[in-house]
Amino acid sequence: MDLLIPLAQAAQGVTDTGVTDAGKAIALGVGAGLGSIGAGIGIGIIFGKEIESVARQPEMKDELQQIRWLGFALTEAVAFYTFIFGLIAFFL
Amino acid sequence: MSTKRKVLLGIGAYLGLIVVLFLILGDEGKNEAFQPQNEFELTPWIAINIGGLDLSINKAVFYLFLASGLTIGTMVFIARRMQQEPNRVQTAVELAYDLTRNNITQGNITDQRLAKRWFPFLAGLFFFLWFSNMIGFLPLPINTEHKVDVFGVEIPSLAFYAATANLSIPLVLTLIVWVSYHVEGIRAKGFFPYLASWLPPGLEDMNIFGKAFFFVIESISHFARLISLSVRLFANILAGHLLLLFMGGGLAVLLGIAALGIATFPLAFVFFILEVGLIATLQAFIFSTLTAIYLSGAVAAEH
Repeated sequence: MDLLIPLAQAAQGVTDTGVTDAGKAIALGVGAGLGSIGAGIGIGIIFGKEIESVARQPEMKDELQQIRWLGFALTEAVAFYTFIFGLIAFFL
Repeated sequence: MSTKRKVLLGIGAYLGLIVVLFLILGDEGKNEAFQPQNEFELTPWIAINIGGLDLSINKAVFYLFLASGLTIGTMVFIARRMQQEPNRVQTAVELAYDLTRNNITQGNITDQRLAKRWFPFLAGLFFFLWFSNMIGFLPLPINTEHKVDVFGVEIPSLAFYAATANLSIPLVLTLIVWVSYHVEGIRAKGFFPYLASWLPPGLEDMNIFGKAFFFVIESISHFARLISLSVRLFANILAGHLLLLFMGGGLAVLLGIAALGIATFPLAFVFFILEVGLIATLQAFIFSTLTAIYLSGAVAAEH
């Protein structure tokens, strides 16, 4: 609830820092949230395609496994980049 | 009673418990003295200041030494008492050795001499990061802010921290990797041919301005590797620790709603299993795999 108080104060025009704090909180929330959408879609595509490939060529399963984890980690990291930049916006 | 009704009843009882606790406790969870976010604060244990440089021993340094000690200790211990019929520990270490040797090194570096030269570095990187990530999920007595009295001896309370959840350590490892793959590329090809090999193939007939444009783009992508490789490891571990912190009660304390704790606490276990079972190993694997890919890309004859 503490996060909402600056927002309410800002609406009444009580403080200027309240507006900044609210903006930072929104930057963190919206930034990290929107970043996760893209990474979520990407991870879905990677695993979907892998299932498709294994269904077509089951003998490739072991080779695909390593590529899958590589792709998963590379895509998942994108969500964390936005999260880190959101945190930078929040604390600086 | 059907299974569906049982499940619905269970969920209903759980939600009802949260509502009842919220009505009883209200805002009583507010606790200003306990600051969960201090988990990431580095308080110096032994202050060392040399010429304005802060070289204090803090918990990150402790975790760093612990991870290196564990890496060296385990490997030397296993190597000293190798048996003809491996016991369980030896089998596990042999599997991990196989992973670093066959999958990470030889799977990505086709040049056998290069693979042989860089295998110790890649395997060391993998094991160091793995131990460093894994001990990050063991509660160790490092929280010097809150002391616990055990038989008259004041010991720090148990807390989580990971050396890799601090940007400096992944960044230093990334710098080592970054410099060494450039050095390896220059050694294999010479300075100017190496820079020319950054250009993607198929640009031979292009005029000098077009080539310069692509060269600038490729240079940016090489510098972006510094950020992406270090921040990937750092952000994954930091986000994992933040999730565990918030789910394990930090959110309830920060917001002052005690009833929220009962909703988030089971999630802490789920995330703990995810982090220990997948993320800790995967990030160590990814870091060393990408190092191997960069190394072989710098030396490869063409793209």
